[in-house]
Amino acid sequence: MMSFARQANIIDYSLSSLWRRRFKSLGVMVVFAGVIFLLASFQMTTKALTNAASDILAFAPEITIQKMKAGRQESIPLEYKEKLAVILGIRAITPRIWGYYFNETSGANYTVLGLDPFSMPLGDQLGEAIDTGALPLDHEAVLGQGVFAELAGGGDAVIFSLFRPDLSLKTFSRAGVFKAETNILTYDTLFMNLDDARDLFSLPADMATDLCVTVANPNEVQTIAKKIAALLPDTRVVTRQQIQKTYQGVFGWRSGFASICLLTALAAFIIFAWDKASGLTPEERKEISILKIIGWQTSDVLTLRFWEGVTVSTVSFVVGYTLAYVHVSFFEASLFRPVLLGWSVLHPALRLVPSVELGETLLILCLTVVPYLAATIIPAWRAAIIPADSALN
Amino acid sequence: MTASFVALEDVCKIYNQGQPNQVRALHNINLVIAANSMVCLQGASGSGKSTLLSIIGCVFPPTSGRATIAGKALSRMPDRFLTIHRRNTIGFIFQHFNILPDLTVLENITLPLMPLGIGPGARKERAERLMEMLSIGHRSNFPARQISGGELQRVAIARALINDPPIVLADEPTAHLDHTLSLAFMEIMRELQRAGKTIILTSHDPLITQHPAVERIIAIEDGEIHVP
Ligand SMILES: Nc1ncnc2c1ncn2[C@@H]1O[C@H](COP(=O)(O)OP(=O)(O)OP(=O)(O)O)[C@@H](O)[C@H]1O
Ligand SMILES: [Mg+2]
Repeated sequence: MMSFARQANIIDYSLSSLWRRRFKSLGVMVVFAGVIFLLASFQMTTKALTNAASDILAFAPEITIQKMKAGRQESIPLEYKEKLAVILGIRAITPRIWGYYFNETSGANYTVLGLDPFSMPLGDQLGEAIDTGALPLDHEAVLGQGVFAELAGGGDAVIFSLFRPDLSLKTFSRAGVFKAETNILTYDTLFMNLDDARDLFSLPADMATDLCVTVANPNEVQTIAKKIAALLPDTRVVTRQQIQKTYQGVFGWRSGFASICLLTALAAFIIFAWDKASGLTPEERKEISILKIIGWQTSDVLTLRFWEGVTVSTVSFVVGYTLAYVHVSFFEASLFRPVLLGWSVLHPALRLVPSVELGETLLILCLTVVPYLAATIIPAWRAAIIPADSALN
Repeated sequence: MTASFVALEDVCKIYNQGQPNQVRALHNINLVIAANSMVCLQGASGSGKSTLLSIIGCVFPPTSGRATIAGKALSRMPDRFLTIHRRNTIGFIFQHFNILPDLTVLENITLPLMPLGIGPGARKERAERLMEMLSIGHRSNFPARQISGGELQRVAIARALINDPPIVLADEPTAHLDHTLSLAFMEIMRELQRAGKTIILTSHDPLITQHPAVERIIAIEDGEIHVP
């Protein structure tokens, strides 16, 4: 009896009955698609942000040492490296110079990062983030997409100049451009080697902004951080784990808050769906009892309602999901900007790459389609088992 | 086969058994209806005609007693099989027609064929033959709400006949029809009987009870067969 022809007939009938009740069907689909849209937009946005945050973390050094004076950070002398030689388990100490460069013409703030990629552990991995070009040699810089667009106008200019603090010009040639995928990290970044960064900011030769420590055994990070803090009392020692906590603080409560709002919306939707789908009108009850008395089985009636539910939820899901994708990728999740403010302030010009993951998509599917199908079928089951003779009077 | 196409032995029907609103609708009905006959159940309102017709029509089994319809005993038959037996043997013409007003005439007539997996082409072909016979072919694509009462009954007849059942039942078929339409209805029933079907009607309309085609009147009073 589960023949294909029977299914085809029942699907045929369910489509035409959805069409006959098109205003009710459309109303349900609009609300349904709206809920999917909200859930999926939120999921794609937070996923894109989480991915970005874990990128940041992947690049963060295991331990960062900053020199503190009067509660503020100041340059750290390179000789501190030698003081740490007594600590076993440190693989390398890489000095880093970073700071902000204000471009008066455009009003943009660039992040300048000075590193010596050739002498640091995993330095070659930096090369993988570069789209065209190579790691910077002397008087060269690798530009983030945003910086590249401003300084070279997106064209092929190779030489550009920046001001030192004394307003003398320092000239660079472009060694390369960072890949767009690394935008969250590199969009506003100028990456150059240590000496050029020092020259640009006019820092003394024996100074850096901070020291990055690479540890041989990841399990020892906490112990080593404590030893460093004990040896260098005038520094702040930050581990990757602490940075991670900070990020979780920024994204965490906001997305938690938003999830609660969304769950409320979801609950409202389920109640709404239950009401719409289960509130069989007297006409619908009459229809079911007529179908039964002229020879439809209870299972035929259930199959009918099942296909109605599948149609409504599939259409709603596809529409809602597509709209969400458009919303996140082309409108930069503008509906969620106010909620996820922490991130948009950090990176106003960031273009999100919505991430569609099977697991998350299935989760949304389960949270919406399953309750909807249940709301369609269970009441119909109650209606379908009403005795056929109720059509007699 | 011809002798007892419908056989009821000590059939009782109690609605809402064991509840305060319990109704004893039929009591100890013994009845045999021969194949290819035309009979009429007659009785006052509330006497149990529709209930008896429903048992003959395999809508529900009797509360007690034996009902054998077209060779199958209904007692304790699960709903699923009752439904299969009903759609194979019974064509039911309801008092209020029970036509879905938003469907077209054609869709209404072919509705019983949907769960049988019969494709749209074959459904239409079968329905067209019946609509031709009942002169409603020109209404095929009209929504049922737009056609007249007489046409509506013909749609109900066509739907009852779509599976070519051996037994045709009609509950108060002339209640909503004028004299001419009632006579036309009886002509259709006579044709069906000639085609070999067993016809069972309920009515207190003299036009039916005294119609020459009706071979036998079964009088019902308070849920029992009245022997004059
Ligand atoms: N579904 C039901 N539930 C409870 N009682 C019912 C039900 N259907 C019928 N009855 C009762 O059973 C008795 C017989 O009803 P039935 O409909 O068979 O009579 P009828 O002869 O067809 O009457 P009418 O001429 O008014 O159609 C009546 O007392 C009626 O109230
Ligand atoms: Mg009746």
